[in-house]
Amino acid sequence: MSKKIEQTQAGEKVFDWLLLLFSVGVLVEAFRIDGGLRLNSAGSFPVGLALVMLASSIAILFSHRRKRRDPRIRSALHECQVFLHEHFQPHIVVFSVVSVIYLAAIIWASFYISTFIFLAAMFIYYRQGRIISSLIITSLAIAVIYVLFTMVFRVYLP
Amino acid sequence: MSDTFSYLLMAWLDPGLLGLTALGVLAGIYIGAIPGLSVTMAVSILISFTFAWDINNALALMVGIYVGGVYGGSRTAILLNIPGAPSAVTTAFDGYPLAQKGEAGRAIGLSTVMSVIGGLIGVAVLAGTAPHLADLALQFAPRDYFLIAILGLLLVSSLSGKSLARGIFSVALGATIGLVGMDMVTAQPRLTLGSMELLGGIHYVVVMIGLFGVAEAFYQLHNMAKVPVKQKVDKIIPPLNMVLKFLPLSIRTSIIGVVVGALPGTGGDIASLFAYDHAKRTVKNPSTPFGEGAYEGLVAPETANNAAVGGAYVPMLTLGMPGDAVTAVIIGALVIHGLNPGPMLMIETPHIFWFTVGNLALANIFLLVFGLTGIRIFSKIVEVPKAIMIPLILVLCVVGTYSLNSNMMEVYWMLGFGILGYWLKVFGFQMGPIILGVILGPLLDESYRQAMSSVGDRGGDFLLALVANPLSLVLTTVIALVLLGNTPLKGWLVGRFQRN
Amino acid sequence: MFKPLLTGLAVAAGTLALTGNALAEYPERNIQGTIQWGAGGATDNVVRSLTPHVEEILGTTIVLTNRPGGTGVIGMNHVMRQRPDGYNLLFGAENPQLYPLMGLADFTYDDMHAVNIIGQGLVVIATHPDSPFDTFAELLEYANENPGELRMGGTGAGGLPSTIHAMINAVGELDVRTVTFGGDGPGVTALLGEHIDFMPLSLSAVAEQIRGGRLKGLAVLNSEELEELPGVPPITEALPDIESFLPWGPFWGVFVHQDTPDDIKTILEDAYQQAVASDGFQEFLENFGGTTLNLSGDAAQQYLDNWQSVTAWSMYEAEAVETSPEELGIPRP
Repeated sequence: MSKKIEQTQAGEKVFDWLLLLFSVGVLVEAFRIDGGLRLNSAGSFPVGLALVMLASSIAILFSHRRKRRDPRIRSALHECQVFLHEHFQPHIVVFSVVSVIYLAAIIWASFYISTFIFLAAMFIYYRQGRIISSLIITSLAIAVIYVLFTMVFRVYLP
Repeated sequence: MSDTFSYLLMAWLDPGLLGLTALGVLAGIYIGAIPGLSVTMAVSILISFTFAWDINNALALMVGIYVGGVYGGSRTAILLNIPGAPSAVTTAFDGYPLAQKGEAGRAIGLSTVMSVIGGLIGVAVLAGTAPHLADLALQFAPRDYFLIAILGLLLVSSLSGKSLARGIFSVALGATIGLVGMDMVTAQPRLTLGSMELLGGIHYVVVMIGLFGVAEAFYQLHNMAKVPVKQKVDKIIPPLNMVLKFLPLSIRTSIIGVVVGALPGTGGDIASLFAYDHAKRTVKNPSTPFGEGAYEGLVAPETANNAAVGGAYVPMLTLGMPGDAVTAVIIGALVIHGLNPGPMLMIETPHIFWFTVGNLALANIFLLVFGLTGIRIFSKIVEVPKAIMIPLILVLCVVGTYSLNSNMMEVYWMLGFGILGYWLKVFGFQMGPIILGVILGPLLDESYRQAMSSVGDRGGDFLLALVANPLSLVLTTVIALVLLGNTPLKGWLVGRFQRN
Repeated sequence: MFKPLLTGLAVAAGTLALTGNALAEYPERNIQGTIQWGAGGATDNVVRSLTPHVEEILGTTIVLTNRPGGTGVIGMNHVMRQRPDGYNLLFGAENPQLYPLMGLADFTYDDMHAVNIIGQGLVVIATHPDSPFDTFAELLEYANENPGELRMGGTGAGGLPSTIHAMINAVGELDVRTVTFGGDGPGVTALLGEHIDFMPLSLSAVAEQIRGGRLKGLAVLNSEELEELPGVPPITEALPDIESFLPWGPFWGVFVHQDTPDDIKTILEDAYQQAVASDGFQEFLENFGGTTLNLSGDAAQQYLDNWQSVTAWSMYEAEAVETSPEELGIPRP
């Protein structure tokens, strides 16, 4: 309970508005379950929970009145820039994109092949070269996964 | 009497059984540590594997895996902030901060000793009071489960970091995720947005792996360059005075663990939550503040979830009703071996009961041995450079999620929850309350509707029932006290009291 | 940097296509088994006892998962949405045959392939030992004097208790509160704790409890007293008219996706036929209060059709359901 005024992060307010929007969406969906509010039916709890989410997200938005923006951030545009700079650094973007491609690739290129390529590519990228050692680590990791999951636990991997 | 004793010591004296229990514990620790590989799954695989074996051998292996697996979940929770199993979610609250301070070795050592203490207390309660505890567990009516779930949700929000509103939002979000799918009573689809895939609901392990594993991996991308903390590995076995200091707390949390574990339908996950909250309320001067690496915050959930194992066996051995998913599978094993699990089991085949008690105690001893060896290597995991660790975490999350149901769709959801979790984390939301909401939400919904139907859908009678029965009254009072303790009303009351 | 990656993927996909044709013998890995009902219930017990025998024959592991909820719709829907490669089995009870009638789902077992109809069970209406009622007639009398007072355990719309309830209402009147549980197991637990007053259950789920004196049988859904349950009167003593529905019982079966290759269907059918016939399982089923059917192929289909038509039409004629079986293409028995 410190008296210090908390600072919001870049994009925090927008995110909290999105949560409010999400809560409204859930509420609408929940109402549609049995078309109204009843004491004991399939929709009772979803509606109740959506209301709780709505109330708490409004409370979160209200708490912004007690916070202020980082004084170094000058304008909304600047905030946007800070936000992009913080969360969209090249290595984060690369990891996210490659992860999505990796998941998509599992289905049509089988698990082990796509995992090998994914791991090798990420290791080489993050460790700036050092190809040989990266490939060795990748092979080791794949071997461990194979022994543990496919042989010992007999889990089927696509 | 001498018969009882010989059954009790059977597993200790037979080299074959001794070996199988040890093997089970060792395997269990690793199964438990890997998110997605569950003890339930391992034990089901074992059933077919041990089909032709002698019943005692089969049971010894299963007991070992069960005990080892419940403990193993804490390993990855402490080292990577990724709980290996839902019952280790609360362990991560204080375990991971400890690892970040370089105390991973000490944290694992302490959690091992405490798990064993909790496990042994659980066994003792099982041996001493099984029939009475089973009768107590049966007393819990749907309305009491409803109150337990409410209590759980209240505790979660009080556990949630800097902002109460954010905590409440997280819990409600989790519970909403837990309710997605077909309604149990009327089979109506709920919140599925017309998707057939979502009719079966979202498995809480999928959410857990996404929120903890993937979100953590993304979050750590921020400080890639940060050199991992060097782990102190010299003092792994906790000194005796430390163990003694935490002994009173561990006994209290173990009792919580056994009772919650004995209730059919609740297990180690909810037990460890209650235990953590209990520690937070009763320990006035923790080693460091809770959430920042308090030993007390590690002791409480670890004792409780291992004590819950003993608890889960209570209704299974006395009534033939499973206390949790693993004991349900073990009931299947008993049936296959020609036994009839039910109220007559203890009367007709008492040796199964005493053998299990002795075997559980033995498994806990092995847990101490295996848990304390190899910590040095384990804690080095934290020192692996992020460049290698982060991609590996993602692969592990994929494998773990896929091995649940062999369903690629769940892997996509897992990634989705990971991205959602990343943003929530960035803006100050906690992951723990969300996942506990996912676990408690369905319990809340189910028990509420059962309780409501029991009183013929009359709201007034429902409220009356919450105070009319002694057990419900106790739970309602606890909830009222928790509510009072969390609101400004408390300050006002205390202020008045002091003035007088 | 993606170019080499994509080429790699393309090469990998090519290799996979080549090796894909030379698939090894079925089964080459674990089989996923989905149980429609919760742990500890009748279906669960039957399946868990049968599975090791099948595993021995097939030489693989069947990983069993309970997916209860929505009267089994959730579990069945899950299996129907998996790849038709024979690695996903559904273990279900009788309920799907009534889904369209109850408006729960638009599919039945006709949309899957029946590997084996394992056996048929008996139904007993059970209560806790402290209950003031000793027979179902007494309970009915009380319920008629105090409508909407007694609490009956249920397993959701279309579950066994709701079917029995509909049958009783078809020939008499029983106005009670229904408390829904995730399956027989949690229902029995609530009955043991006296949180509900009675529940129609599979005999298999409660035989041990009745034998151990923790539960009391009020009636068996049969026209005569059962050898296994001496002292429990047949339901016809309380409701003579219910005779027209009898003999009636829930059944358990194993199903796979309809598009599963024929040779895999045959392998599964053979394995299950052998397993159900094995001495170990036969002994279990007898202890458990069930009768073996062990039907596959046309015989299984005929059994399913017959069960559906008898149950659906009797429920319709008793006005327990609004939808006419005729609209759903269910022929009169």
